[in-house]
Amino acid sequence: MGWTEKEQQDLEKILKKYPADRKLSAVLPALYLAQREKNWLDDDDIEAVAEALGIETTHVHSIIGFYTLFRKEPVGKYMMEVCTDLPCALRGAEDFFKRLCERMGLGPKGGTTEDNLFTVEEVVCIAACDKAPCMQINLEFFESLTDEQIDEVVAGLRAQASNNGA
Amino acid sequence: MSDNVTLTIDGVQVTVPKGTLIVEAAKQIENEIPVFCYHGKMDPVGMCRMCLVEVGQPAIDRGTGKPELDEDGNPVVRFFPKPMTACTTTVSEGMVVKVDTSEAAVDDRKAVLEFLLTSHPLDCPVCDKGGECPLQDLTIRHGPGNSRFDYEDKQHFPKRYPLGDLIVLDMERCIICARCVRFQQEIAFDPVLAIENRGRRAHIVSYSKPGFDSHYSGNTTDVCPVGALTTRDFRFGARAWEMTNVPSLCNHCGVGCNTVLGTRAGTIRRIMPRQNEAVNELWICDKGRFGHHFNGSPDRLTTPLIRKGEELVEATWDEALSLIGEKFGAIKSANGADSLGGIAGARLTNEDLYVFQKLFREIIGTNNIDHRVGLSAALEDETAFTVGVGVGTDLGSVGKGTTILNIGADLDQDAPILYLRVAGASVKRGAHVINAGGRRTKLDAQVQTTLRYNYGSAARLALGLLASVVSQGLVAKEWADSRTSGMADLEKALKNFGADKVAEATGLTTNAIDAAAKAFAEAENGIIIFGLEAGNDPALRAALEALALATGHAGKPNNGVIAVLPHANSRGAIDMGILPDRLPGYKPVESNAGLSAVEMLTAGGVKGLLIAAADPAVESESYKQALQQLDFLVVQELFLTETAQMADVVLPAKGNAERDGSYTNLERRVQTFDMGVPAPGKAWADWLIFTGIAGQLGADWAYASADGVMAEITQRVPLYAGMDFKNLTAPISLQRKTEHYIYEGMSFTTDIREGIQWATVAESDSAPKIPLRFIEPAKASSQEQGLTLVAPRMLYDGGRLLAEADVVNAHILEPQLMLSRSDAQKLGVSTGDSVTVSQNGTAITVPVYIERTVSEGVALLPRNLAGRPAEKLVGPNGLYSTVKVEKS
Repeated sequence: MGWTEKEQQDLEKILKKYPADRKLSAVLPALYLAQREKNWLDDDDIEAVAEALGIETTHVHSIIGFYTLFRKEPVGKYMMEVCTDLPCALRGAEDFFKRLCERMGLGPKGGTTEDNLFTVEEVVCIAACDKAPCMQINLEFFESLTDEQIDEVVAGLRAQASNNGA
Repeated sequence: MSDNVTLTIDGVQVTVPKGTLIVEAAKQIENEIPVFCYHGKMDPVGMCRMCLVEVGQPAIDRGTGKPELDEDGNPVVRFFPKPMTACTTTVSEGMVVKVDTSEAAVDDRKAVLEFLLTSHPLDCPVCDKGGECPLQDLTIRHGPGNSRFDYEDKQHFPKRYPLGDLIVLDMERCIICARCVRFQQEIAFDPVLAIENRGRRAHIVSYSKPGFDSHYSGNTTDVCPVGALTTRDFRFGARAWEMTNVPSLCNHCGVGCNTVLGTRAGTIRRIMPRQNEAVNELWICDKGRFGHHFNGSPDRLTTPLIRKGEELVEATWDEALSLIGEKFGAIKSANGADSLGGIAGARLTNEDLYVFQKLFREIIGTNNIDHRVGLSAALEDETAFTVGVGVGTDLGSVGKGTTILNIGADLDQDAPILYLRVAGASVKRGAHVINAGGRRTKLDAQVQTTLRYNYGSAARLALGLLASVVSQGLVAKEWADSRTSGMADLEKALKNFGADKVAEATGLTTNAIDAAAKAFAEAENGIIIFGLEAGNDPALRAALEALALATGHAGKPNNGVIAVLPHANSRGAIDMGILPDRLPGYKPVESNAGLSAVEMLTAGGVKGLLIAAADPAVESESYKQALQQLDFLVVQELFLTETAQMADVVLPAKGNAERDGSYTNLERRVQTFDMGVPAPGKAWADWLIFTGIAGQLGADWAYASADGVMAEITQRVPLYAGMDFKNLTAPISLQRKTEHYIYEGMSFTTDIREGIQWATVAESDSAPKIPLRFIEPAKASSQEQGLTLVAPRMLYDGGRLLAEADVVNAHILEPQLMLSRSDAQKLGVSTGDSVTVSQNGTAITVPVYIERTVSEGVALLPRNLAGRPAEKLVGPNGLYSTVKVEKS
């Protein structure tokens, strides 16, 4: 990819926080930085992180693979993450997830909408079991959700996206 | 307080050193706790959970701080509420461990196996690991008979996924023990494997380019406790129990790795490492593992050939040998014995070489013999005789307190297993490694000190280090005074090699030189390693010898000098006196010295030549012309090489898998190998051929076996006294042999041998004082303009033996000039462009490849590649020279 000038500055700031011979420690913030722009990491991004930290590309891939919040496939602008773990499932999150997928025009396991705006994904625990069905859209939380609320939120985000000229 | 602790495992008491892991303590009383991820050579991780045991400790009364006792006065043992992993838990005094005596632990292990097997395919009947599979064996011993898991939930992964050219992954068989990942990280220092994802979706990946790019990749298939990793070479090659396992030695470099030939129906099916903790531990490199296909090649010579006009026609041994006898006899009587000569490659065994020199010296009557052609001519070494590493040296155990100085050897390419051991000493055990070289090499990343000197200044660097040792007052006075002579003269000579001057010649700082000298001199143990790229320079060798002697780093284990000689038996060739001026055992010749190989390969040098296991015709055009002018040329070979095509008589020799013999490795360890497969056609062992030729010339030798030749060597060469095959093949400690393969033993049964090192002069207290030698280094060549072209030898080169191994063919480079990015920019070229490289009127054209490991000012063009462009520029015996590079 090649870092943009701003990213290069931020990267240097990140690297400064760690000893020069312990650059590996900076891998998570560096990956966040690499993912900031388009919400996912392509091979060039990963190579750039490996080179910046002087570690093997394979090593960076394994770290990405361990954390669900790093993505190697293209995703939508808005990540809709629904917890369907046991406590949430007991409050109907599983069914909610299926209905959500249906409403977004996606298959039963989620995925990305055709306009590349939304990605719906099942996740494990977002720490709001008592208010399930709950969902995280990028950095925002939505709790005790109903289908109607979803439509509202989605419409809002669509409007926001088109206002921004997306 | 004692450093031992006593614990009880399944009712048996055992005393072990503090810090021992439970699994290791149990091993000592033959209680085999099942493991998958645990491997004695790697750090424990406890990730497979197979070794769960119940652990209890003596209860301590909190009030009194004393052990609690029960009604009978026995200490109360309090068990931890959960099972613990025996591979990560260290022992403590009074600990009680229940392995088989605890129903809970037995159940736990059964459950772990049931989990591991949820997605494991039941394809043992077609799996390469079947029959030597820890998972198979441990399931039978500890596992449940059936599975309660839902077949629909089985995880599916690709079945034949190529991790790289050489290694195939069957992810469904993998149990995520990470032994392969950890091997690459902790032992090979090549972290190109990793686990991606987690939980049930975890799988092994490599994103290196090319895939799984490591010289050590084959070892991951050995440590894999299931059939997940297999080599492309052996996949479906044979069943483990059908093979005969023959102890052998690798013949590709001077390390002398112990191997085992897995043979079946007269062919080699696979090569695996054979444990020898003093040489290769449990590892071999991929060249050794996959480079064996020359043995069974259809292109092998199978019968003697005699020249009839332009043609080489088949002949019997009788015809061929009597023709040689007749011709050599005629040349000798017409022109004298010195009109004959012999060149023997350093791939031959000690027995071959001994008989070879005896044939020339005793029967023909000339000292015209040499082994120094090709790479063997690029590095000589006589320092081993005086200051070679002490008997008992073990690079696999040295650590803190040891300084290793490596000069001009790219260990990862020249001697891969030595690289593992030196890098391991540095990273894992805290030895101080100083890597001195003219360019960046892989070892740089694993060491504390890197010295980048100008090519051609290695001797000056060595003298600078020595001068610095003297000026810093770090000479080991007492030892040097009692064991060496000539210190005063040496000190005088060193006046010209003060840090300032040496810094200028080498391009290093005075501080760096002083610090390196101090680190080496002050270390408890000091080892010097030097290799091809330091240059074939007597001044360097004298300086290194004096450095070892002056610092007292000689004459004892883990101290001394190692020359990284290029071939399997380069050391043996020197030991056996395959030199025009030296007899076996480093004795100078009594009468006139003979001609060197280069002299014999000069037109008019000799009239008749016997060349065994060497191919000078490809090395240089001038050698070829000299060969054409010979009256009579005999070539003894595995293949019809370019040299053999020019011969009057070609004799088919046996490969090393087809016969027995001994090699001496670069640490002077003499080791034997056995015969594994039959030879093609009518090939003979080289010593037998030499004996046959000698017979035609009137000798009445009665050698019947390599063993018999060695028996004579032990009598005639004092260094080899006691090295008869009976001693060399003596199996070593039974404990290691029976250690079960689920830990770090071998999955097959074969002899384990340690070999015998011969002792250096420095090790003998009764030897006369060793003179400290000083040789003035040659004047540095005038500062020519241009890049330094370096022609290193790569592990995978264009050698004839490797050419037969299809599996590694993709790794053999096409000739290309590797440049740093900045030099490429200066020349205005990028990868793929072609350039003209010229020197003294010789010019070649090659494509450029920009390689980030190449330092500025240096251009790499590996030697021994197709067309041999590098040799055209640096000469057949050279390693580097200054060249002009232009865009073409």
